[in-house]
Amino acid sequence: MVKVQERRHLVLIGNGMAGINTVEQILKLAPSTYRITVFGSEPYPNYNRIQLSYVLEKSKAVEDIILNDWNWYLENEIELYTGTTVTHIDTEQKIVKADNGIEVPYDALIIATGSNPFLLPVPGADKEGIVGFRDIADCQNMLHAADQYKKAAVIGGGLLGLEAAKGLLKLGMDVTVVHLFEEIMERQLDHTASLMLQAELESQGLKFATGKQTEEFLGDERVSGIRFSDGTTLDAEFVVMAVGIRPNILLAKESGIAVNRGILVDDYMRTSAPDVYAVGECNEHRGTTYGLVAPLFEQGAVLAKYLCGVETKPYEGSVVSTQLKISGVDVFSAGEFMDAEGLSVVRMHDDWLRIYKKVLLRGGRIVGGVLIGDGKESSRLQQWIRTGTVMTEAIHNAIVGQSAVETGNTAAELADEEIVCGCNGVTKKHIVDAINEKGLTTVEEIKVATSASRSCGGCRPVVEQILQYVLGDKYDSAAAKQEAICSCTTLSRDEVVTAIKEKGLITSKEVRYALEWDNPEGCSKCRPALNYYLGMIWPAEHVDEKDSRFVNERMHANIQKDGTFGVVPRMYGGVTTPDDLRLIADIAVKYNVKLVKVTGGQRLDLLGVKKEDLPKIWKDLGMPSGYAYAKALRTVKTCVGSQFCRFGTKDSMGMGILLEKKFERLDMPAKFKLAVNGCPRNCAESSTKDIGIVGNEGAWEIYVGGNGGIKARLAELLCKVRTDEELLEIVSAFMQYYRETGKYLERTSDWIERMGLESVTEAIVNDLDNRRALAERMEVALAQVKEPWSEILNNSNLRERMFEEISVSTKQD
Amino acid sequence: MEPILNKDEYTFYLIGNVDDFTERLGRVVRLGKEEIAVFKTTDEQIYALENKSPGPRGGTIAEGIISGEVLFDPICDWKISLKDGQVLDPDTGQVRTYPVHVHGNEVRVGLVKNEGGRFHE
Ligand SMILES: Cc1cc2nc3c(=O)[nH]c(=O)nc-3n(C[C@H](O)[C@H](O)[C@H](O)COP(=O)(O)OP(=O)(O)OC[C@H]3O[C@@H](n4cnc5c(N)ncnc54)[C@H](O)[C@@H]3O)c2cc1C
Ligand code: SF4
Repeated sequence: MVKVQERRHLVLIGNGMAGINTVEQILKLAPSTYRITVFGSEPYPNYNRIQLSYVLEKSKAVEDIILNDWNWYLENEIELYTGTTVTHIDTEQKIVKADNGIEVPYDALIIATGSNPFLLPVPGADKEGIVGFRDIADCQNMLHAADQYKKAAVIGGGLLGLEAAKGLLKLGMDVTVVHLFEEIMERQLDHTASLMLQAELESQGLKFATGKQTEEFLGDERVSGIRFSDGTTLDAEFVVMAVGIRPNILLAKESGIAVNRGILVDDYMRTSAPDVYAVGECNEHRGTTYGLVAPLFEQGAVLAKYLCGVETKPYEGSVVSTQLKISGVDVFSAGEFMDAEGLSVVRMHDDWLRIYKKVLLRGGRIVGGVLIGDGKESSRLQQWIRTGTVMTEAIHNAIVGQSAVETGNTAAELADEEIVCGCNGVTKKHIVDAINEKGLTTVEEIKVATSASRSCGGCRPVVEQILQYVLGDKYDSAAAKQEAICSCTTLSRDEVVTAIKEKGLITSKEVRYALEWDNPEGCSKCRPALNYYLGMIWPAEHVDEKDSRFVNERMHANIQKDGTFGVVPRMYGGVTTPDDLRLIADIAVKYNVKLVKVTGGQRLDLLGVKKEDLPKIWKDLGMPSGYAYAKALRTVKTCVGSQFCRFGTKDSMGMGILLEKKFERLDMPAKFKLAVNGCPRNCAESSTKDIGIVGNEGAWEIYVGGNGGIKARLAELLCKVRTDEELLEIVSAFMQYYRETGKYLERTSDWIERMGLESVTEAIVNDLDNRRALAERMEVALAQVKEPWSEILNNSNLRERMFEEISVSTKQD
Repeated sequence: MEPILNKDEYTFYLIGNVDDFTERLGRVVRLGKEEIAVFKTTDEQIYALENKSPGPRGGTIAEGIISGEVLFDPICDWKISLKDGQVLDPDTGQVRTYPVHVHGNEVRVGLVKNEGGRFHE
């Protein structure tokens, strides 16, 4: 048995993407080989640098891009020093020294220090307000600047510069991209493609100053503008430099390790010093340094195997491809992209649709290409380039033709170690193993299990092909595309809803009959779903089908595991009165409830109520039950707000009560929760609600799609509104849009991800006509909502049959 | 209510009229010491099963959704045949059933004779 002390000590310098990915792979291959210590200059656990662009445009928070949280280090017994920079490596004694005085000996050392943004060495470059774009701190600087300043310049029209510029634009700044060459992204795009991209970005509001060489930054302490070599100037209160990166080699160089542009490594990532390795952007392999994740994950895979004594092919370099993550602009480029001698070119250029596609061939084999405006083929093109596929008529058609021609499945040709999802570093093998081990059958499941295609989604087609390849005959492409609502039919939610509308089907029996259900009476999946869809489509005509409701909704109480029920008296906005409290307490005693519990939604739950006592409890309570169990608005959680709180700027209690009263009892695709806060301190925890409202000085912020349940998700900002009327209208439109487009049992958190926040914003924030129409349809639906308790109390027949038992004695009288 | 004797080994007890039960909605009947879930299907067949979920979490079955002659367990969503109490694929298990006789409008449920309504396991 290996004792802990006997494990070899592996030290990693650089807590970034390449280093930690290597560690992850080592932990998978041979978890007990090494005791691991990690040093990182940044004060965070390992995060996804690629997604900083999303943090900048505020579509993600820093927490969302953490790849391995603190727990992960604990679980894997990794000693982590964050905020600690290694300052020296003693390659003879095999010791690293850090800036806080710590010295750690190593048996093996990985350097993964990444790179630094390159800052132009021109006069004034040290002025305040000039930053790079590399880490969370830079990102926070930019967010901060956008709050205070209006005019920004981004120097560098490459991938990173354009993402920074688009992010600042989204934050409301006036942004000019300054570029040395006439054409942006000249290292990835040809003349035509570059011009098309620039035109597209200009139409989105970015300005460009191309062919401009920066000569000096103007201003006193703080930058106020840029002077170019042609004598012209540009005003700028804030400057982001994104002109390139430099491998971070200082530490290695000063420690006597051989460097050129990067730290020199061989095909197994070995440096000139014994037992010292380098991966990622800081190294130079066969004369090349890389600035993208896919190659460095490939390097990490080779190094991990090497360190674990697993046989591996040497690393021989990578073909890189780039894709712009800016929303609304499809740009892809890979391999050789410039026309040149010896290359034949397949080209398609459509000015009207704004599509440009180009594929380059050498000796009939695909060696590179560019796609603008339509990136659907990007992942396949990338594979064709990687594998040097011979051009065929089918491929040609797929690229430039109109009809999608079957081009075969290329998943088989992918090597196991090939990175399929660049954003999350997921290899083909990882996906194949997950499919086999966990019996996955859909891309969604793969997404959950492996993270592949979770970020930019560009690799989704390849993931689907891998799935198809692994499952073979068992793969059902139709089912994968549109999941049937249950096993009684092959129709999807959308097909059923469309048919209900078009054929005017009013009852679920009609639906099952007209749409040829296999099971004439349906099942526990489709019956509640159809009942919901029918009610949503025909609010006035549909008669609710009690026998298609789950017991909780049929009984208006929550069934517990012992067959008793929980009753949650309604307390609008979580507010009650001493009289109501007394009444609730008296009733709890009278009906001998087993437990009184304060729920997560700020209500009281009376647990252990017998079924036959339910109508009596409602009658005695005289207040509705809180719907704490229904596929409907459950509660509106509120904070104290301006009525009492010394921080409150808005009346959160008043608004919460208003909202709860307005929308109570209305059926929704799934349970639905709201919260309203009086100020950004957010005491009512809006970030995990379907709609979370945060009061601000003079405005309300509306967050949507949060979920605190099985799959936790933070709500995202939908918009800010100034007035209460606007707030009500948007909440109303949002709920109605979800009611109309959501799948039954689909929470808003999944719904938002399926629809895309942007399309929802477009539909209910930007498109005023649509918003109004939705809000009007909501009013129609609300007009039909009935209070269910009195119906049961007043109808003795119904009450008896639904709630009362029959008791028969077996003794002879 | 009066027990009537049957030729078989069951004693049948009158539990009510057909109209006391709602189509596709279960109702609990306490017959002596037995707690029975009684269901009426769309074609007016009446079934009686022990009101105990066969699933691992326990609970009752009277509140389930009825489709044809299948009951969807409200706690674990298993499918149970009303006819013989068999749990259907992909799960396994069995719910005890009771014989039901309907004469005219009257519904009777049978308990094993001479046992005062209690089963020996
Ligand atoms: C905004 C942005 C967007 C990007 N978008 C994409 C994209 O879409 N696709 C793509 O493929 N790539 C993208 N990249 C590039 C990608 O993020 C990098 O290629 C990748 O992160 C490099 O990994 P690395 O481990 O080599 O370096 P890093 O991830 O930078 O990790 C290096 C870490 O080492 C730490 N460190 C350095 N020196 C020391 C020391 N002496 N002691 C301790 N710690 C030290 C640093 O603080 C840093 O955290 C993007 C980069 C940025 C900045
Ligand atoms: S969110 Fe703000 S207003 Fe509401 S209770 Fe907290 S601090 Fe007070």
